[in-house]
Amino acid sequence: MKLSDLEGDMDGPSEFLEQPVSQDLILELLNHAIWAPNDGLREPWRFIFADNRYGDIMQGLQEQAPAYLLILVKEEADQYKREEDFAAVCCLIQNFRLLAHEQSLCVRCTLHEWMYDPSRTEMFGVLSNERIATVLELGYGANQWKGNTKLPETQLHFELL
Amino acid sequence: MSLAELIRERRSIRKCNSTPVDQELVVELLRKAIRLQPLVEAGSWRVVYAGTPESSRRLVDYMMQQMSQSKLGKLIPGKLMEVFKKRFTDIPAHVIVMSNVGPDRLTNDRNYAAACGVMQSFQLLGWERGLGMLWDTESMIQHKGFFNGIGLREDERFVGILHIGYYDKAPRSRKRTPAEQKWTVLRGQST
Repeated sequence: MKLSDLEGDMDGPSEFLEQPVSQDLILELLNHAIWAPNDGLREPWRFIFADNRYGDIMQGLQEQAPAYLLILVKEEADQYKREEDFAAVCCLIQNFRLLAHEQSLCVRCTLHEWMYDPSRTEMFGVLSNERIATVLELGYGANQWKGNTKLPETQLHFELL
Repeated sequence: MSLAELIRERRSIRKCNSTPVDQELVVELLRKAIRLQPLVEAGSWRVVYAGTPESSRRLVDYMMQQMSQSKLGKLIPGKLMEVFKKRFTDIPAHVIVMSNVGPDRLTNDRNYAAACGVMQSFQLLGWERGLGMLWDTESMIQHKGFFNGIGLREDERFVGILHIGYYDKAPRSRKRTPAEQKWTVLRGQST
């Protein structure tokens, strides 16, 4: 599908179906998504995948979902590099969201206060020179987009220099 | 072009040709890009646009202000500085993006991330229409004179400039690390 034909509600569903999410599909989509622009080809990202096969490891931190993808960003000492790297990871996340949407895989893109707390993030294997850029809650939604949903008016603040 | 091909084939374009860029197209693509984003609060980010030779020249003056006034900058021959500036004033359009910092780190990150997401969709939508872009966050330009020039407010941060134009030739790709090599699966909490 062409990107300009991609339509629908980009907000994740309020609830997911039980249907599991395949690791292979996530890796396939990620291998496209990593073609995000990133300064100096530093590729400042890393991925941690968790599904509910081993119990609900995100309990109390995240909403229920069949699978989670933690996207980590490397934390450089240099402030400008750190910003560029976060921006690069945001582009990767955007690529992933678009690709998932095309596959009818629903994504809730979340950023919460606990992700800034190393004592919590280290439980998931986040290293001291990394931080969580987002936790994606992944799954299939109960109701597919029908094509007649009214999308809200887009707000663009656009001024001339 | 499929979505995956589009994402893989997009390149950063440092050299564009002189074909003008239509402001209405830029606005149309920005609106489309916003629709590909989950709802964000209105006013969490905004765009300032330079699309005329006059505004481009002003923008490039702001970008170079700190450098041209620095000790090192004063040593750079005027002619060389002009060549430097011309590289950017020759680019037909510039989208400057800033986001609202909000009351806390979480809001700041969320607004910044949303602005980046829109910029990436905008880059992809542009590529579909033959537009090339360069996302500029050069630290050299990030000084007070530049921030004042673009009208950055105290409650805002600079996200980046997308320099936009049509191109004759796209650079070749550079190899990327497969996701499998940056991938860990959690097996539940160890006890």
